Amino acid sequence: MKTMAALLRDPYPIHWDAEGNEKMGIKGNVVNQGPLNLSYLVNMLMNWQGQDCIRRLTVRFTGWVLDGDSLSAHGKVISLNNTNDELLAKCEIWLERDGERLLEGEAIVALTDS
Amino acid sequence: MLGLVGHRFPGGKRTIDRWENYLLTDCTTSPQLDDGLVHPIALFHIPIQGVQTSIAELFEIGRVEGAGSVGLDGYDWEYFQPVREDVEYSCEGQILEVERLYTDSGSMYDRFVFAIELSDQEDQLVARATSFWRLRRGKIEH
Repeated sequence: MKTMAALLRDPYPIHWDAEGNEKMGIKGNVVNQGPLNLSYLVNMLMNWQGQDCIRRLTVRFTGWVLDGDSLSAHGKVISLNNTNDELLAKCEIWLERDGERLLEGEAIVALTDS
Repeated sequence: MLGLVGHRFPGGKRTIDRWENYLLTDCTTSPQLDDGLVHPIALFHIPIQGVQTSIAELFEIGRVEGAGSVGLDGYDWEYFQPVREDVEYSCEGQILEVERLYTDSGSMYDRFVFAIELSDQEDQLVARATSFWRLRRGKIEH
């Protein structure tokens, strides 16, 4: 998270000041950056259909991910469409911690291996 | 705050160096990508930096006041071409929406939406990143 904060030039202390997060009721923990939460879903999609498969991501953040959390990435194909000579899969995607969704939305993925 | 709608960022050029993409990809726990492909989550910070603003400046524009006062509601990221290392992209963008809203429990916040486009040297649209932030304004007094 600290490397990520530096890359993003993100001054928001909730990502690196564990003690300072006490006022938000999470003393001793830091909050993972939103793009990193999304990256776990992106990596899942790239592992599925290749590194250049993603055409669109539309997501909502519904909960914080804290250091030490154990997460699982999920996805389900909703529909298939042919657009611009590509077969595109519309997928529901979500990130879970103990059954609770912390990030959810849709991805449009080109089925490059089909 | 409502007067911010239509505010255009200065705009500019942004090239993603190999070292930067390497570290970014490493942060995601992914193996490094092939052929200079940039990890897709670069669509968060590259557009912001490319239009010559920063997260800190966006906080200032949005009058963010301390820890817990800003939240990330979501993204809508569109990829029209692969984003690659060592390619100079032109970046242009603006604030699309600012709306005063209330949560079910009565807390006031501003929905803050901005979009930035990346184009290549042939002026072809490469990607568009729309971000939805929540700027919390404290509890309403009833």
